[in-house]
Amino acid sequence: MPISASFRRAIPAASCSPAVVDKRSRGKRAWKGKPNGMDPLLELLLNAVVAGLLLGAFYAAVAVGIAIAFGMLDIPNLAHPAFVVMGAFAVWLLNDAFGLDPILAGILCLPPFFLLGVLLYQAYYACFESRGDNALQGLAFFFGILFVTEVVLILVIGADYRTVAAPYIGPNWRIGGIDLPLRMLVPALVSLLMIGGLHLLLTRSFIGRAILAVSQDPLALQLMGASPVRTKRLAFGLSIATAAIAGALLIIIQPVEPSIGREFIGRAFAVVVLGGMGSFVGMLMAAMVLGVTESLVATLFSPSWAPAIAFGFLLPTLAIRAGGLMGRKL
Amino acid sequence: MASSLAIDGLEAGYGTVRVLNGLSLTVGAGETVALLGTNGNGKSTLMKCIMGLAVPMAGSIRAEIDGVTHELAGARTEDIVSLGIALVPEGRRLFPRLSVEENLTLGAYRPAARAGLRRGLEYCFEAFPRLAERRRQLAGSMSGGEQQMLALGRALMSEPRILLVDEPSVGLAPLLVKRTIEKIRELKESRNLTVLMAEQNFVQALSIADRGYVIVHGEIAFTGNSAAELNDNELIRKFYMGL
Repeated sequence: MPISASFRRAIPAASCSPAVVDKRSRGKRAWKGKPNGMDPLLELLLNAVVAGLLLGAFYAAVAVGIAIAFGMLDIPNLAHPAFVVMGAFAVWLLNDAFGLDPILAGILCLPPFFLLGVLLYQAYYACFESRGDNALQGLAFFFGILFVTEVVLILVIGADYRTVAAPYIGPNWRIGGIDLPLRMLVPALVSLLMIGGLHLLLTRSFIGRAILAVSQDPLALQLMGASPVRTKRLAFGLSIATAAIAGALLIIIQPVEPSIGREFIGRAFAVVVLGGMGSFVGMLMAAMVLGVTESLVATLFSPSWAPAIAFGFLLPTLAIRAGGLMGRKL
Repeated sequence: MASSLAIDGLEAGYGTVRVLNGLSLTVGAGETVALLGTNGNGKSTLMKCIMGLAVPMAGSIRAEIDGVTHELAGARTEDIVSLGIALVPEGRRLFPRLSVEENLTLGAYRPAARAGLRRGLEYCFEAFPRLAERRRQLAGSMSGGEQQMLALGRALMSEPRILLVDEPSVGLAPLLVKRTIEKIRELKESRNLTVLMAEQNFVQALSIADRGYVIVHGEIAFTGNSAAELNDNELIRKFYMGL
């Protein structure tokens, strides 16, 4: 069955480093090959779409931290994917040493990652933001953080690919001809849960509304009795904390090595910009569009074309809707 | 119990430029006081000093709220807001990409005002029916007059005792200026506020003020102990009202 075999490669291919992922999943998930009457091409397309949606949900988990930092706080945190990888390694350490469930490990990593974000913002504020020259210098700062984080990870953990063990890595649900690998489904659900929770926090709480407002007019926010610096510090802490969960999801989906985060920088920023700065709903939609496009291209043409065509699709969309899909535009 | 404000010998500026030169004024409990002056004489700087957004070099700003006197010079803005002092800033300074309701809600940010959020929203929507109609609309997409109403409403959401209003007439059509000023009087009476209003539109400001000061080069050049005294002053009529 050549077609289904090529589909089987499609999911991991779209989520980077196909060769490695294939090696791990091979054998665990034997292809049953039972024909169920659906048109093979239709089945292939449906599978690609579902795989793309699951992948998109994971992209959203990586992008949500950037949606907060870049979309709401105007902080160009290029290093976010590196923190996601750092989160993945932290989860790997906990999983490897204590056999902790990767998602539970990710949750345990939330407080230290929040603290890391708070400290990082404090440094960024003291060095750049308080002096008013935060555009290009800030970009260079976070670019530096990206490389430093990578190098530190290589020195501490090594350059090897690492994987975690969990009961949901391996099994595959099959519903009406549609494959639902749990290693993609569980991360997608956790991602949606996290984004939903953050959305509630931002739109229903006072501090959340202050986070939405802080980059629009810091002085006016001060007149409301909120400190812009404290608001941004808290929000940036939250943004980096999401990297712990995104890292757990990443290492559930695929093996991780220190520089793998770079593959997500372009995707994550594109998703945030396409979604419309500051809109979680738009970001989620954009992530799904990117995931489905990549997955379809990988299935129908070749995995190596996936990023190019996905971005080729994003650019004209932005040309037509400059404010993104759902951004708050004036 | 009403609240009052006393400013004494205030000096402030930016860098080496001195904007306020020993300015003194008082706003008695329950009064509406107009601070009159043309652009560049220090009205906004005074407002910023009261709110802790600019730090005075000398002098004192004392607010008496419910019988307790607080020194505001050098205090943090958050703490000043928490005392129950609110500013409607010049140019309104709304959050343009937040909805009307979100803007109002942020007005109730100070801890003491949060419990009264629902009550405050109801009050604002009743006082400004236009805001109720547009509660889901982005603040930046509204007209100047509506934005000024929203800025007033947002300041009231913090349940202030002392309300500072900086140049409410800027950028508004004459009819809207009149309506805005009238609204300030209405709100002041129904909420028992103490109001200090900086304005360059003398005629409109004096229509609701109990007293007024004329500020020139960062100093009080003329004190009018009643609106009539200012209205009838020959020089003021000549220089500021064009009469």
